[in-house]
Parts: sequence; C-alpha cells; structure tokens
Amino acid sequence: MTHIKTIETRNLCDSAKNGGCGECQTSCQSACKTSCGIANQQCEQKADK
Amino acid sequence: MVYGGYMIHQYKLNGYNIVLDVCSGSVHVVDDVAYDIIGLYESHAWEEILSQMAEKHPDVPEGELSECYDQVTALKDAGKLFAPDTFEPMAGQLKRRTSGVVKALCLHVAHTCNLNCAYCFASQGKYHGERAVMSYEVGKRALDFLVEHSGTRKNLEVDFFGGEPLMNFDVVKRLVAYARSIEQEKGKRFRFTLTTNGMLVDDDVIDFANRECHNVVLSLDGRKAIHDACRVDYAGNGSWDRIVPKFQEFVRRRGGKNYYMRGTFTHANPDFLEDIKVMLELGFTELSMEPVVCAEGDPAALTEADLPIVLKQYEDLAKLMIERRREGRPFTFYHYMIDLTGGPCIYKRISGCGSGTEYMAVTPWGDLYPCHQFVGEEAFRLGDIWQGVTNPGKQAEFAACNVYAREACRDCWARLYCSGGCAANAWHATGSVTGVYEYGCKLFRKRMECAIMAEIDRQFHENE
Repeated sequence: MTHIKTIETRNLCDSAKNGGCGECQTSCQSACKTSCGIANQQCEQKADK
Repeated sequence: MVYGGYMIHQYKLNGYNIVLDVCSGSVHVVDDVAYDIIGLYESHAWEEILSQMAEKHPDVPEGELSECYDQVTALKDAGKLFAPDTFEPMAGQLKRRTSGVVKALCLHVAHTCNLNCAYCFASQGKYHGERAVMSYEVGKRALDFLVEHSGTRKNLEVDFFGGEPLMNFDVVKRLVAYARSIEQEKGKRFRFTLTTNGMLVDDDVIDFANRECHNVVLSLDGRKAIHDACRVDYAGNGSWDRIVPKFQEFVRRRGGKNYYMRGTFTHANPDFLEDIKVMLELGFTELSMEPVVCAEGDPAALTEADLPIVLKQYEDLAKLMIERRREGRPFTFYHYMIDLTGGPCIYKRISGCGSGTEYMAVTPWGDLYPCHQFVGEEAFRLGDIWQGVTNPGKQAEFAACNVYAREACRDCWARLYCSGGCAANAWHATGSVTGVYEYGCKLFRKRMECAIMAEIDRQFHENE
C-alpha cells in the first residue's frame, strides 16, 4: 500500500538553473507592509506563460 | 529537525500528517507509519527503526513496515526527502548581479493623516517629523529616478502611501498620468498600489483606483468596537461607520481586481478571527490581518500570554477557510495564499525582502530610506532622488541581508518560505537588521503550517 502521497511542488533545486530574473514582486510591497514572506508570491516567468 | 545539511519538518494538523522537505520544497502527506519512519530514518539503522516501530505499531506487519521504509528510500533517491542544502553559495548572488537596480518605490505622498490611530507606526503619518505632502515635482523626479535605476526590469511597483495618501490625491493622479505617459517609451510597466484608511474615498477615488491601481489596500480592523478603539479622528470619534459603506462600494465596483481588506491586531484583540468573521459578514473576501508593529512595552504590543491565543486563531482561520471553500463561499487570507508549483525560485527565496536595495521609500522631501518602516530614522537615510544613494555603508547592511546572514534562520524549517524575515522588525527587536524577531517567527511558522495544510486539503477535495 502507499503510505506517502507527494504533493506537486516546484523543485527548488531545479529552479536554481534558470531562476533569478528579479521581475517578481518585492516582498511586502503590495499588501501587508509589516511582515516579510515570499511563499504567497508568484514567479513572473510562470505567470507570463 | 536538522540532519547535517538536510532538513525536514513534520507536523500534524487538522487530521493530516505533513512532512516538508525544506531544501527540495517537497510536501508529503503521510500515514502514521510513514510519519514515524521518516522521523527515525536518517538517525537510526533499519533494525533499530523496525524494533521501535514494532513496539509503537504492533498491529502493522513487518512486511508493510519494510515496504514503507522502501518508499521513504525511493523519495530520498529522487531528491524529494532529505535533500541537502546546496544554496548557501548562491546567497547574495542575485543582489550582487543586480546591484544598483531599483524596481519598487513606496512614495510617501502625505506625511499627514486624517485619523489619529493609537498604534500607528508612522506616528499619525508624521514619521517623527513634520507634517508634509509631496509636491508633483518631487513625485515626478522619484518616478524618473525609478526608471533610470531599473535596468532591464520591466515591472516597476509604486505604492502610494502615507500617512493618508488621499490627502494628496491630486498629486497621486498627476503622477499616475505622468507614469503612463512614459511607460511605452521607456519599455516599463508600472503597477500602482494605493493604501488608504477610507475617510476620503468617493466616486472619483473609486473610479481612479479601479482604472489605474493594480491593488488597493483598505484599512479596517474588523469589529466596530475594536476598530473604533484605535482608528479615531482627531476629535476622538471612531471611523468604522464612515468608512465601511465606502469600502463596500469600492470593492463592489472593483469588479474582481485585486484588493485587500487589511486589519491590524493588537493586545486588545489577539482573538482576531472574530474580526475576520466581521469582514466576511460585510461581504469582503480578500483579507489580510497583521500583527501590530510597535515598541516592546507599548500597551498595544502583543504579549507572551497572547501568543497561544494568536496561534489558535491561525489554526481556526485555516479550518474556517476550508469549511467555506467546501460550502462554495471561499475567501482569501493573504498569508495563506501559497502556490506550491508556481511560487518563487530559490534565488528569491534566499535573497531577503529587497528593502534598501531594489525597494526604497521616498519621503515628501525626496529622501530615500530602505523601506517605509525606516522613514524618519535619520541613521537609515540612504540618500535622495536627485543624487541617489550617498550612504553606501548603510545600503551594504541591507544588501547583506539574506537567509544565511541570520544564524537563527539556518536551523529554521520555514526559512525558504520567509526569506529571512523583515529587517525593520529585526531592528526594532534586536537593534540589528540582521537580527531575528522571534515572536514574529513563531507567528510566521504557524501561518505556513496552516497555509500548506489548507492547500493540501484543497487539492485532496478539488473534485468534490
């Protein structure tokens, strides 16, 4: 039986190969203004596709 | 949990056993047997694991334990469990490569406010200085400064902030018109955000913001009594009754464009879920609720006694989100938005927030500060929009901020979701921008646990 279900995620090691364009939103610029976090940000390269 | 360069985080929430493999970014949902085997895998030999598992799970046959062990091994071999942290050499690379590039400005168009909120980190908009509004000429020069320093970046972000930016609305409109007039020629795309307390919102503001602003941030603390205790005018009258109908109209006419109803919670309302429920009852669905930023000892500051209450709010909030989603009445909580497949690349995740380098705040007089939260702190003045950065030593402190610059972050499983935390919070808490605001970290980690759990639940019930 399967004991583990793996959720699809972006492979962070792979993202090192073509990442770093810097076009994505500045971390706390748009909404909260008081706490940093990048988990809720979108990659602009993926958003453009 | 650290295994010499590997890091996993295991937790149980809302009926899910969740395992995060920090460095690969993998997320696994596992049964009790796999949960325990993963916890022992790297630190124990198979025979020891088998012996411990037989004692803890006497009903599970050895063959099944062995099968589960093999599944863990397969995930390790695939780089999805116990992946090593190989990112440290990259820390700082992105910032070095883009040194001097500015892509976002917070324009303080009004250092004055028509409210006198008790907890305001901006001291009622004055930022410890004089009341002032930004002239068109200063704002225009700030936009030119941004374009000149943006290098090859196409997307430029500009936030109209204060104080209350609508107290200088004519300048805001003229600056947007100017920016639009140069977008094509300069090959840039401006994204504007307006942050407002709502007092001056009218048809003109709504039409303008819905046409021009990528996002609007509307300040509302939730329950009327909570809101009106802090968010008062200079006569001491609460503002809830005046702003709520305006915000409802604003959002109704926004037609699905981005907005956030943003509240602040303090020592007066660590039970902030009640405020979120009020926002939902009022018809708002894009919500953000932030812990107050203030000095320790301030009556508004969150205390250690508040912490368990706040952490429980986050869990209950995630459960409420799931419940309403299943009922077909979804809502968004800013900190629970997580895109596991389309989120930021590793460079972004380890580079820190960008304050003082790609992001700066501009005062009404054209002075540059690392971000809006440092405005008025003279030691942090970086330069101005005419001469650029003239305090490179201070900027270097911000350029050096990254996940690996903070010792405490090295042992934190959430580091690649937060990128090292807020420099301003760190400075207020420790006196150093590379310090760690541990109270905020505790809240952040709980938010991430909840966000990932809620996303897992969404995927599991997607087709229901």
